[in-house]
Amino acid sequence: MEGRLSKVQIVLNEEELKKIEELFGEYLVESEARDIVLLNKSGELLAKSGDITSDVAQNISALAAGVFSATNELARLLGEKEFTITFHQGQETNIHISLITQNALLAMIFDNKLPIGAIRFWAKKTGNEIKPIIEGAEKRAENQTQKVINEDVEKDIEDLF
Amino acid sequence: MSTINFAKREISFKIVYYGPAMSGKTTNLRHIYTTLPDKVKGDFTSIATETERTLFFDFLPLELGSIKGFTIRLSLYTVPGQYIYKLTRKSVLRATDGIVFVADSQIEKRQENIDSFQDMIENLIEFGENVETMPIILQYNKRDLPNILSIEELQQDLNKDNKYQYFEAIAQEGINVVETLKAITKLVVQKA
Repeated sequence: MEGRLSKVQIVLNEEELKKIEELFGEYLVESEARDIVLLNKSGELLAKSGDITSDVAQNISALAAGVFSATNELARLLGEKEFTITFHQGQETNIHISLITQNALLAMIFDNKLPIGAIRFWAKKTGNEIKPIIEGAEKRAENQTQKVINEDVEKDIEDLF
Repeated sequence: MSTINFAKREISFKIVYYGPAMSGKTTNLRHIYTTLPDKVKGDFTSIATETERTLFFDFLPLELGSIKGFTIRLSLYTVPGQYIYKLTRKSVLRATDGIVFVADSQIEKRQENIDSFQDMIENLIEFGENVETMPIILQYNKRDLPNILSIEELQQDLNKDNKYQYFEAIAQEGINVVETLKAITKLVVQKA
């Protein structure tokens, strides 16, 4: 097993993360979204903006990825390759989840004052803005041929628990 | 699939607990949640039916600490074991870095273990995963019950070539639960 690289989905560097967070900050104000969460298909949190705490954002990431993945099983049953958007509407809050690259999902959370058309518009605009950054990070992940952790970590992991 | 965040010096891994219905997957996660210190664990999320059976998944995020300058994050999931949730189970397995297969040692569960393991392999193949290199740890649970398969029988059914490390466990009492988690963590981190 050792020496074989696992598949890496996305490798984000400092510059990319900073750029994503800047864009999120900008769109949070412009779109009047409450929170923006960037995650991958595994349900891991990549970036967030808004008042949302890391713990909540992490749970949203896991659930949003789960919902998205389950929805795609539904798509296949209906003869679709995949659904690229899922939208949930509540009394006070709406959440829009969209696929922006092969591995990354964008979840935008809005209060109910914004019409659905506007939500779709802002989700698409935000997704399009960060798409090239994520694609760059994905490309780097594809070319990641070096193991990140080369040393024997047996003892280190024992110490973690 | 692991995600490396060089900006935050973090590596995230997804680990899925797979196995037949009632084999003890959720019990494993609950024990981990109650045992590990608060600073390590996030909220335990369980999407279950009214009768406490897993409907979608259980989820437990862990932030273990630092190895070679990288913070190790684990996202632990269970799948719903019941047959009717086949597609949901498949969707939870997507993009996983490692699997703990929780087998039920009871004699009457023999075929269910074999079917569930086969179902897991088929799903991995469908996702384009390399089943030869996927980190997998076996946990033979419920070793305290009277009417159980021998380890040789379980090995014959699930691990004929002795390819996977296995643990005998009593998840209800927490026996070998954390040891199983440590073992799968070692495998996924060493592969990163």
